[in-house]
Amino acid sequence: MASTVERPGSPIAPSAQPGRRPRQSFETWQWFFMRVSGLVLVFLALGHFTITHVINDVADTDSAFVANRWDNPVWRIYDWSLLALALFHGLNGLRVIMDDYIASPGKRAATKALLYAVSFGLFAYGTLTIVTFG
Amino acid sequence: MSRARVANSTIYKGRSGQWTFVAHRTTGFLVFFFLLLHIIDVSLVNVDPELYDEVHELYGNVFLRLFTLGLLFALLFHALNGLRIIAVDFFPRAVRNERVLTGWVVFLTLAAGLPVAWVIMWPWLEGRF
Repeated sequence: MASTVERPGSPIAPSAQPGRRPRQSFETWQWFFMRVSGLVLVFLALGHFTITHVINDVADTDSAFVANRWDNPVWRIYDWSLLALALFHGLNGLRVIMDDYIASPGKRAATKALLYAVSFGLFAYGTLTIVTFG
Repeated sequence: MSRARVANSTIYKGRSGQWTFVAHRTTGFLVFFFLLLHIIDVSLVNVDPELYDEVHELYGNVFLRLFTLGLLFALLFHALNGLRIIAVDFFPRAVRNERVLTGWVVFLTLAAGLPVAWVIMWPWLEGRF
């Protein structure tokens, strides 16, 4: 049996439940984070894809291209924001998927531990790449 | 799958809502794993710029161009469907137009994706890769 996770989902319909506000828990905040980061990522991720695959051909985006781009700190901030938001948006999405589909508490804990280790490790590694380049 | 499992799992009532739900999770999962790969391939620019260039040249290869098309459509669908989810969450009455909104998500994914797919494949179609 799957464990039931305390998740309000979308705290919609105050109109449907007059006078009731959802209890603010971690799950409320992650819901909100997913919407805000998702909205920002529409622009950051699609913008990044456009730059590297439409405006430039991907085969031309070599190390000189990166050096030229990261010469400007604005692009480093852009790329780091994309890294941070996309990684934590994805991490949280996968956490929710694991809650839904991995019924055994032990396996769920183990899978999440791996997910967190890989995500935080690669977040640190990606940050290092952007900060120390050049 | 027991009855209890079904009752406790996240299940919509079929049709377009169910399919977009599944597709949103699948595309999100795929994009996340591409991101992990991408963090590692970009990090090579610090480790060894020449190695970065060598690895990066692979992206011009036709197989990785096709792989990029997968990323493109996953990204577009996930972004547009995410906007649909936000719209329904903040304007609950939009759920009445659920099927129309889903139609727009699919239409815009194809309308934006197909020309970009053409641009990505163009160097290969020209015979440069």
